[in-house]
Order: sequence, then structure tokens, then C-alpha cells
Amino acid sequence: MSISADRLPQQTPSQARRRKPGIVGWVVNRLGLDDMMEDQHNRVVPRHATNYVYCFGGIAFVLFLILAATGVMLAVYYQPTPDTAYQSVLNISTHVEFGWYIRSIHRWSAGAMVLLVFVHMLRVFFTGAYKAPRELNWLTGVVLFVITLGFGFTGYLLPWDQKAYWATKVGTDIAGSVPWVGHFLLVSLRGGDQISAATLGRFFDLHVLVLPAIIVLFLLGHFWMIRRQGISGRL
Amino acid sequence: MTRASFLKWLIGSVAAIFVAGIMYPVLRFLKPPAAISGAIGQVVNIGPLSGFAAGQLTAVAVNGQPAAVQSLDGKYAVYSLICTHLGCVVEIAGDAFRCPCHGSDFSPTGAVTRGPATLPLPTYHSQTHSGSLLVGPIDLSRAAYPGWYKGEFS
Repeated sequence: MSISADRLPQQTPSQARRRKPGIVGWVVNRLGLDDMMEDQHNRVVPRHATNYVYCFGGIAFVLFLILAATGVMLAVYYQPTPDTAYQSVLNISTHVEFGWYIRSIHRWSAGAMVLLVFVHMLRVFFTGAYKAPRELNWLTGVVLFVITLGFGFTGYLLPWDQKAYWATKVGTDIAGSVPWVGHFLLVSLRGGDQISAATLGRFFDLHVLVLPAIIVLFLLGHFWMIRRQGISGRL
Repeated sequence: MTRASFLKWLIGSVAAIFVAGIMYPVLRFLKPPAAISGAIGQVVNIGPLSGFAAGQLTAVAVNGQPAAVQSLDGKYAVYSLICTHLGCVVEIAGDAFRCPCHGSDFSPTGAVTRGPATLPLPTYHSQTHSGSLLVGPIDLSRAAYPGWYKGEFS
């Protein structure tokens, strides 16, 4: 039995043309990264989109990366128990070298990210970028906005000071006022009828494990759809 | 040096400075701060051990709060000088303590020898570290102490 030559794996023209030297080249050649990068480099940003108002989404993503990096660092010293949470935050701010710096970056980036995500949403709305065929990307964007607010809400409790306690009390009370399922939501969020160690544990879990996992999935979807559908046309 | 290689070198140098500027605080942040085992919170260095005469109580300030270092047989203890009765500042009386407000007396180990106070003077978490005395928060585990010891930095 013979195998026709066209059924064998074919070298793409670029594979034949470009053989990168060195250690980086060794990896690039094997994974065809040249083709991938060429694809990225060949995409043209439309003239009307070379404008600062089209940067808000990208800035929000950069802030997300900063928050992820500083958040991982803060988690080194933060302790999510009622007895030690406040002390550990004070310890970060007053005693750990550059702790005030890392925590401040995290705090300010968090506020800025909520703002930038919102402004990005306004840009998409007023340029009509949510219209067909990009409705699905608008919907993932709504989810991303809600997740961002969820990060803010859960992160606010973690210092475990008076402001954190009462903000969470009010926020979870609002969830509790939903008809029919309100009490279920309240107990699910608080881990009981009252705000307690269980609440702090749940909010910490949401803040550092659950929400990051979900936001990464939706970010990938969001970006993939931008690549797939391209930037919306001009007004 | 060609113009292209000079520009490459220049861009690389600027990038290296940027990366170093980011990594310096990150690495300093990850370096473990001075700590006292079993105590969580701020730790301050209140000075070299030579500053605390043996067999005596030496008045010090820990995060602005009055305290006394007791040096006995090469061991160091740091007592809070805030009375467990109503929060007055306790005076050092020889090797013991006396509260001027209501006359409570405390033994050299902080135990109550005369009322109205009922609880012993609390001690701070402390530890010697390369010739200095590190002081952490007040050890609140020994008794049900009043709330005024749970200050921001205690």
C-alpha cells in the first residue's frame, strides 16, 4: 500500500524559509511561533481606533495584571482569620519592607480598574461596538464588569476593620433582601446568619481563587472574540 | 559601534533599569521581616541589650506606649506599664510596680500584691536578636485583659 505524498505533513512555506538559530530559535522552530507572531503583526489597527478612548479596555487589563502580581505578593503576609487579619494587614503596611508600597499599588489599581472597566463600557456603548455581530463580546464584558465589582466587594472585607465589617454587612443585607432566594444568598455569602470567620474565609476564597479563575476564562473569551471579529467600524 | 548596535544597547539598558526598578521593591518585600515566634504584628527593635541593666526595670516606650524592660539572669521581659484596673500609667517602684491612681501594687513578675487591680500586668512578646531586644504585640493570651491593650499596634 502506498501513501500519496500529499497526505504526509507538509512544511509550510515559512517553515522552509525561516530557521531561527539559538535556543529561542529551537523552541520557535518547533512550535511554529513565527507563523503565530506573523499573524499577530499583520493585523492592522483601523485608523479611527488609533485614539485614546480605544485604550480604556487595554488599560483595565494592564491594571488587572498589576493587581494579580501585587495580590500574589500580599497573600504572602496576609492571614484570613478574624484574630489575625487586621494585624497582618497592619504588619504589611507598617513593618514589611515596601509593604505600604505594594498594598497601595493594589488598593489604587483596584479602584482604577473599576473606573477603567466602566469607562471602557461607556466607550463600547457610545461607539455602538456592542451591535451585531459583537453581542456575545458585550455579554462577556458585562460578566467581566460584574466580576470586577465582585473583586472589589470581596477584597474590601479582607482588612477586617470597622469599615470592612459594616460595608460587608450592608452589602450582604442587600443580597438578603432579594425576594424568595434572599436568605439563601445571604447565608451563602456569610457562611451563616452573621458575619463571622466563615464570611472572611469565603470572601478570601472568592477573592484569591474563584474570581481569578473565572475572570481569566472570560478575559480569554473576550480577547479571542476581538481577534476573531476585529475592532468595530467607525461611527 | 554602529548606530543600530548602539540603539540596541541603549534600549536594553533602559529596559534593564526599568526591570530593576520594579524588582528591587519586590525582592525587598519578599524578604522576611524581623519576627517573634508565636506573635503576629509589628515588631520593633527597642535597643541594644546593654541598655538594660541587670536586675533592674528600665522604662521604655513601645510604639509610644509606656513599658518596662526587666533584665533578670540574662533573660528579658517587657511589661506594659498600663494598669489592668483602669488604665493609669504604672510607676516603677524599685524592682516592682505601683499604680499612683488607686494604689495597686504589682510584684516584680507583674502579679497583683495589692488591689484594686485583679489582673497581672501584661507582658509584650519579646525576643533577643543579635544583641538587641525585639518587642512585638502584647501577649493577650494570659488573661482576659481589658480592651485598652488591643490598640492599633499592640
